[in-house]
Amino acid sequence: MALLEVEDLRVAFGGTTAVDGVDFQVDQGQVVGLVGESGCGKSVTSLAIMGLLPRRGATVSGRARFDGVDLLTLPRSDMRRRRGSDLAMVFQDPLSSLNPVVKIGTQITEVLERHRGLRGEAATKEAEHLLDRVGIPDPRRRLGEYPHQLSGGMRQRVLIAIAVACAPRLLIADEPTTALDVTIQAQILELLKDLVDAEGTALLMITHDLGVVAGLCDEVNVLYSGRVVESATAPDLFALPTHPYTVGLLNSIPRLDLPIHEPLKPIRGSIADVIRWQDGCAFAPRCDRVTEKCVEGEPPLIGASHFHRCVMAEEVA
Amino acid sequence: MSVDTVTEGETETALLTVDDVKVHFPIRRGIVVERTVGHVRAVDGVSLSIDAGKTYGLVGESGCGKTTLGRAVLRLEEPTAGTVTLGDTEVTGLRPERLRRFRSKMQMVFQDPLGSLNPRHNVEMLLAEPLKVHGVGSKTERRDLARETLEAVGLPVSVLERYPHEFSGGQRQRLGIARALMLRPDLIVCDEPVSALDVSIQAQVMNLLDELQDEFGLTYLVIAHDLAVVRHLSDRVGVMYLGKLVEEADSETIYEHPRHPYTKALLSAVPQPDPEVEASRERIILTGDLPSPANPPSGCRFRTRCPWAQDVCAEKEPEWREAASGHKVACHFDL
Amino acid sequence: MTLAKIERLDRLVEASATAREAESGSLWRQSLRRMRRSPMALVGASIVGLFLVVAVFGPWIAPYSPTAQSWGDEVFLNQNIFPGPRAENWFGLDHLGRDMFSRMIVGARQTMLVGVVATLIGFAAGALVGGVAAAAGSFGGRWGERIEAVIMRTVDIALAIPMLLLALSVAALLGPSLSTVMIAVGVAQIPIFARLLRGSMLAQAHSDYVLAAISLGVPKSRIVLTHIFPNSLGPVIVQATLVLATAIIEAAALSYLGLGNPDPGTPEWGTMLADAQRFLSGAPQLAIYPAVGIIITALGFTLLGEAMRESLDPRLRRQQ
Repeated sequence: MALLEVEDLRVAFGGTTAVDGVDFQVDQGQVVGLVGESGCGKSVTSLAIMGLLPRRGATVSGRARFDGVDLLTLPRSDMRRRRGSDLAMVFQDPLSSLNPVVKIGTQITEVLERHRGLRGEAATKEAEHLLDRVGIPDPRRRLGEYPHQLSGGMRQRVLIAIAVACAPRLLIADEPTTALDVTIQAQILELLKDLVDAEGTALLMITHDLGVVAGLCDEVNVLYSGRVVESATAPDLFALPTHPYTVGLLNSIPRLDLPIHEPLKPIRGSIADVIRWQDGCAFAPRCDRVTEKCVEGEPPLIGASHFHRCVMAEEVA
Repeated sequence: MSVDTVTEGETETALLTVDDVKVHFPIRRGIVVERTVGHVRAVDGVSLSIDAGKTYGLVGESGCGKTTLGRAVLRLEEPTAGTVTLGDTEVTGLRPERLRRFRSKMQMVFQDPLGSLNPRHNVEMLLAEPLKVHGVGSKTERRDLARETLEAVGLPVSVLERYPHEFSGGQRQRLGIARALMLRPDLIVCDEPVSALDVSIQAQVMNLLDELQDEFGLTYLVIAHDLAVVRHLSDRVGVMYLGKLVEEADSETIYEHPRHPYTKALLSAVPQPDPEVEASRERIILTGDLPSPANPPSGCRFRTRCPWAQDVCAEKEPEWREAASGHKVACHFDL
Repeated sequence: MTLAKIERLDRLVEASATAREAESGSLWRQSLRRMRRSPMALVGASIVGLFLVVAVFGPWIAPYSPTAQSWGDEVFLNQNIFPGPRAENWFGLDHLGRDMFSRMIVGARQTMLVGVVATLIGFAAGALVGGVAAAAGSFGGRWGERIEAVIMRTVDIALAIPMLLLALSVAALLGPSLSTVMIAVGVAQIPIFARLLRGSMLAQAHSDYVLAAISLGVPKSRIVLTHIFPNSLGPVIVQATLVLATAIIEAAALSYLGLGNPDPGTPEWGTMLADAQRFLSGAPQLAIYPAVGIIITALGFTLLGEAMRESLDPRLRRQQ
């Protein structure tokens, strides 16, 4: 049994569907990527798993079993206890995720006290150790500083320190490096890789950057319009991208390791050009390979270990 | 530092010449009486030139001064020192009204396509305004030109009555580009033209910029943090760090044979969408953060984060030298 | 690809597009659409609408003349006898034996005039002061910054004076009359509008579309008038609605203090309230009717203002 099993997850805000039946799994110690562009539902998926969606306004259905327990039906208080200890999350914007008027040290010891019962000097020692662990120099001094005194990269390190404070079994990182410069991004990715290797933490990496996925993830799920359209191990996915959307994404990216000035092959249209999954493939209006078969109802997930949701894929490949 | 002298051959075709431009922002303190306690040296002596019809890519991380330099070129920010010359006109010497008229020759494309379009103006108003304020054409002529330009950027003419918030991100950026094109300028400064867009849309806009360059004979100054984007769009690339250029070369050369340690580190930090490349690649992970541009390190500005730094780097500022033909670098060593 | 296939695809795309909410039209039109869905706006608009109808058509609606002392022989001041509500006089009689219901209805017009004119004075003068300050500060160079500083420090000083005191001094200067009340209340609102518009304009002046306009070579005066000003009006219009409520209350306060219209021929809620104070212990209803009228009207404008604020401010937009 996998550590996290998400099955047919659906989230709607009023009449708008954000997540439209997402399935994926995360195994112990595995790094799994959820990749997609804005509006594909990747962030909403993570918030639903963490129980962080607003109670009013969001309708959630499906299952998200963590260690066999469905997180979606768990009472709020149980979920609160699990957040931070069993599952933890790192967000995109490190500044707004930290309380601006509370010292870094206090923000870390708070978590240690609540979930691990550490107090006083023991908590401070542990906090110092954690900051050291995430590569912050001179941790003792940093504990007494406020978030605005740190750089963006440092803040993201602090957030990671808070997230791993209680040795969670699953860490969800939602675009953790998008707001950072490339050289700082490299530092943070290295740190995450390091933590996963050393602690055996499972990591669910949510990102739009296929480069980040290629360097970090074991398994990849590509999302489009609220559904997984392709799912495979990272080497398989990049070697044999099957769904036209995945192929299109890879062709859209300018690459440093390919000949210069080769024209890019973009995907046409925008995410506004979409049809409902129950009528056919949501990507059909933007797809170059579209045929009549694509709009004859819901496309099923096809494949054994390398899954995709394209009725035309077999014929073309 | 203006050791950089443009060679004879270059001046003949150079459309834009930037010579030793500095932009320093005073740091002011005090409530009743303000006094200047220091300067943020956002741009601290940059020289470059762009040939007509070519693209110069300016790359660097946040806080390196690339955006400020782009704005100084258009005099949206007043340079503290140095000159900017476009064609035969010294932009830095123009008086306000002449500068306003001259703006028809140089335009800008912004990073945030929605924020740079007035939310209360519809497409026709947005596109006609530059023509109107420069006294170009009659109302119908302006409308025809707007239609023509919309087609050039790949938008249907039926959108004239619509408002910016009714478009998707990629379409809005097309609108921003169309507006910059309305006066048929010589130079367009593109400040992070695709970084606010989704990956699949980025490629559309980059291809569009390429096509328009051929169609309208445009010269671009592209400012971006994404090295792959800059490489794809540019003929020549300059790498900026803390207000100064540290390396400049043809885009092929700079990506294949980077000479400055900062360029090397930047290139090695960009993740590639290929697990095999990622696994085998050697990364140069820089330690620490960007120093404050109000108080840059002595000698070489990059020395505090440079894995190869020596004593000389703290003592002497490296010269901006031509390490190979057309390949300039500011480093004491040949790496 | 055959034509039939494309048609089916296009139909499906269209179906999904109409399923989502069509957000089209200008920003003003959108805000209006959002407001129509807000219960707060509906209640506010109904109160304000009713008030306006009464204010405009009052003289025709009122069953009796508001000034005719038709029942003067039924009121005995020294014995505190004021006939209350009854079939012919719904709200009873006032101290001179006039029909209270008719006086309330006809008085609405004066009350509305005071509120609207006072707010317009404050809005127009405040917008001018704040607009000039912001324009000078943003585009006038060194001298402009100085002009802005002088204007805004003066505004700050004016803001420090309690509003009622400011209104009282103006009213004392001009002598008691209806226009005095309007001007006094209006003048007291100028600094608030000036500050608000200046702040809003400065925020807009730093936006990208203003930078874009500069880079296109749009003249400064045109940037201020066609770009910055229209985009800065939202919060000021909201404030105007809220000020209308306070203006009505303040006008009532000034009338109550004896600075209002001394002409007994035209009833006005504030003056009615002032007159009623002499009989407060014996006939509180004479004060309650105009007071409740003022409160409900002010509430209506406040609700409308709040609803407008919500519909104009994108950060407060509720997820649908």
